[in-house]
Amino acid sequence: MKKAGILGNLNGIVFFVALLVIFSLEIFGKVVERGVGHYLKWENYKRPQLGRIWERDREKIVAQKKIESILSSLNSQEQSSESIQSFKELFEQLNPSVPQMVSRKKFLQLYFEYPEKLSHQIISPYELLEIDSGRDWQRVLLTQFGEWITISFINSQNFPIREVFLSSEGMGENPLSQDIFRGTLEEAGFSSTSILSFADFMRVMKTLDPDAQQKLFPNPQWFFSKNYHVSRVGVKEEADSEVYPAPVRLGVEYQSDFYTEVLMLPVPALISDNLLSQIEIPVYDDDSPEAVSPFGEYPGGMN
Amino acid sequence: MKRRIFDKIAFSLFTVVMAFSLLGLVLYMDLKDDLPQLPDSLEKINLSLPTEIYSSEGNVIKVLGQRHPVALEEISPRFTQAMIATEDSRFYNHSGVDHIALARAMVRNIQNMRISQGGSTITQQLSKNLFFSFERKWVRKLKELLIALQIEATFSKEEILEAYCNQVYFGSGAYGVEDASLVYFGKRAKDLTLLQAAMLAGLPNSPNSSNPFNNFERAMSRTRSVLKRMTRSNFISPIQMEQALETDLELAPQRIQSNPNQYFVQFVIDKLEREYGKEFVHFGGLKIFTTIDTRLQQYAQQAVTTHMKALDQRMTAGEEDERLQAAVVALENKTGAIRVLLGGRDYAQSQFNRAISNNRMAGSSFKPIVYLTAMEILGISPATLMKDEPVVLEISPGKTWEPKNFSGKYSGDLILKRALMKSLNVVSAKLVYDLTPQRVIKTARQMGITSPLGENLSLALGATGVSPLEMAGAYSVIANLGILNEPYVVERIEDFRGNTLYEHFYFGVQRFSQKSIYPLLDMMRGVVEEGTGRVIRRMGFRHPAGGKTGTTNDYKDAWFDGFTKDLSVSVWVGYDSNASMIDRNGRGLTGGSAAAPIWAYFMKKGLREKSRVNFPVPEGIRFAEVDQTTGFIANSDTRGKMKVAIKNEVVLTLPPSTDSIQGYFPSDDQFTPEPETIEEDVLPEL
Repeated sequence: MKKAGILGNLNGIVFFVALLVIFSLEIFGKVVERGVGHYLKWENYKRPQLGRIWERDREKIVAQKKIESILSSLNSQEQSSESIQSFKELFEQLNPSVPQMVSRKKFLQLYFEYPEKLSHQIISPYELLEIDSGRDWQRVLLTQFGEWITISFINSQNFPIREVFLSSEGMGENPLSQDIFRGTLEEAGFSSTSILSFADFMRVMKTLDPDAQQKLFPNPQWFFSKNYHVSRVGVKEEADSEVYPAPVRLGVEYQSDFYTEVLMLPVPALISDNLLSQIEIPVYDDDSPEAVSPFGEYPGGMN
Repeated sequence: MKRRIFDKIAFSLFTVVMAFSLLGLVLYMDLKDDLPQLPDSLEKINLSLPTEIYSSEGNVIKVLGQRHPVALEEISPRFTQAMIATEDSRFYNHSGVDHIALARAMVRNIQNMRISQGGSTITQQLSKNLFFSFERKWVRKLKELLIALQIEATFSKEEILEAYCNQVYFGSGAYGVEDASLVYFGKRAKDLTLLQAAMLAGLPNSPNSSNPFNNFERAMSRTRSVLKRMTRSNFISPIQMEQALETDLELAPQRIQSNPNQYFVQFVIDKLEREYGKEFVHFGGLKIFTTIDTRLQQYAQQAVTTHMKALDQRMTAGEEDERLQAAVVALENKTGAIRVLLGGRDYAQSQFNRAISNNRMAGSSFKPIVYLTAMEILGISPATLMKDEPVVLEISPGKTWEPKNFSGKYSGDLILKRALMKSLNVVSAKLVYDLTPQRVIKTARQMGITSPLGENLSLALGATGVSPLEMAGAYSVIANLGILNEPYVVERIEDFRGNTLYEHFYFGVQRFSQKSIYPLLDMMRGVVEEGTGRVIRRMGFRHPAGGKTGTTNDYKDAWFDGFTKDLSVSVWVGYDSNASMIDRNGRGLTGGSAAAPIWAYFMKKGLREKSRVNFPVPEGIRFAEVDQTTGFIANSDTRGKMKVAIKNEVVLTLPPSTDSIQGYFPSDDQFTPEPETIEEDVLPEL
């Protein structure tokens, strides 16, 4: 009985002591706050990102994403314009809602990449020199308004130093339609019946007056300067063109160091009829001995 | 007996402890899903890069989201002491909750039956500022408390104090102690004196009512209270307190809240927010290079302030305290760059941007568009003879309109140029009647006006809402000899690394041929030289210029739109309530008396150092002197000669014998004798 009483008192004392210890720990050691704090810290990763600080963070992320998307779009535009290989390609990428920008270097590369007399029809090299003399020409902006294409030579303030206007109608005859196709004339869509060896073509050329010759064929210096060897020439009508009469295109096939390529050139309308009439080649079966060109050789007789 | 009492106490204590533990557990289970996650670092709150807006001269004119976070070592210890003494004197001794302060606040709140006192520690305030709304709710307080405990368990006291000092609001637009030091004392936070530190420490609790700019006495009283608390907390001695109170506060001049660029800046922000989103503008850390010329903007503000003050004195009292308002837009003709955009007298008082609002009638300033259409479609020229006479125009079967001139008088026969110079409503109405409003609208669209335009004859008198920005744009087409340069405000946007995200390119489009526009340009020069806009010359503006006044019915709107070779400027004056502008003498304010002086003052200042540039005369234009009442080629006997610019193909005729001249001659009471008195003759001086 006495023992039970002592034990009962002892339990009460232990309970009080325990409470006192806990109370002291809370007062002096802030155990409850620290415990709760550390528990919340431990659970932190499970909780949602709510509140003003995270909202601000989200807004920063949205802004950053927008910036990245703009930069990526601008970079792809720049890469796309840098990969352009011809004025034709450049103009094909142009549409009224998307102006096209190329660097001065790229423009000059395209300008001098092709037989010069065709590029000169866009702007003369002397005018280019004049534009460049101000030492502020940075880029070229191409814009399309309806049928008109504006080529703006712009300075560092994006202000046009010179503007050149071209009509997109009749682009078939436009010097800007010149292009280089990697492959043979046949692969470029020329019919075998309208392909001549270069020697045969030269016979046709000789029937033209010197002015027409110059308008038709590019400056030979271009081929020599690049060490290209001309092999065949083809002529074709752009049958799917909406323009009447359909523009005529001359293809000059040549061998570069590594590839066979075709320089595609527009034929001026005044020359095209004359040229086509002289190059009309009768269509025979390929195996027939009559399948001979008017000049006595097999068309496409080059390997 | 003792045992029983002991047991009861033990049981009660046990029950209380268990009840509190259980309550805490239940509350936590209920709240845990709404508790926010804590970031890894408290520095995260200051990581946002500010977006800077630049003027065309390359000066920063606005910074969005600007913060000046500083390390604790760069903050005066006096300030942190003052802050701790004021906000949380046991900051270094608690773990997020101050039991004593909390108990005191609870008792007070229970007494008041509402949350009137927070008892919040600095950590709890930081928790609230970072995550929670400012509503006073028990649940919010509990969440705030739990997060405070986590903050204490995660970060050091120094980190908490630094974060608090860097994000707390001090009033006057200043967030963080560094910004507050700059705003109130023009110095860095590390250089604060004891008195200054005490004043700043008193601000977070009541940033507006204790703001020294608003109420210096109350701010000083609060400062004294902070110093007393510092003394009580043993941070300073009573002597130091007394010494501090004897020092000079050295309060910096108040930042001017309203600067003249603010309408323009807000226009840019709104435009970019619409195009790219709010986050991009405010959190992108961008550099936005704009077209504003702050020097010109300043002149526009000066012109408006000065002239409006003069007009205020002229106006009748009792306009329900409404002030006259004004708007100015200036465009650079060559590029379309908006150099000036002032949407009102004072941005601080009214943020409504009148420069871009299209709710005001253009009045006669719309007439050049009518005249241009007429010359293009009807084949008439500035030398074509018109009749200014009473006329009744049929709008629809059985419905007529009788246009009247502003003066109520008629001039009889006169050439088209003279009609524009005199701004005759009858001539303009007859032209629109012959053209149809649709054709005039088409021309307006070609000139860049995009506001909805009413398809009715009153278009002749400009009874259609347009904005000053649109009018400046349309007039720049005339100054540019037919080329429309779309007005724009942003030259370039860069990200913080300097990558270009946007750049403006010029798309000048020839909307009208040069020789179609030049005759109109010459007619508008006539308006400035001898017509309703001659106030411009009277005020000493000497550059070659063209323009047109505009005054709407009952003097509700006054316009002057004009251009030089370089700039096209539109000025509007009126009441926001659309009330009539009548002065003490019962005279109405017109485009010539209310708007043109602002234009002239602004242009005189703006072009002060510029040489006078004439408008180039395009090919296919010739000048001729004609009789302004007959349109015949002038000879030595002609009394009223007028020089006109006409296309080469326009055929002018020699005068026939005097007897054969026929035409409408107004009666004596209708006739306006020469020289006319134009209402703009009485000019206010700037």
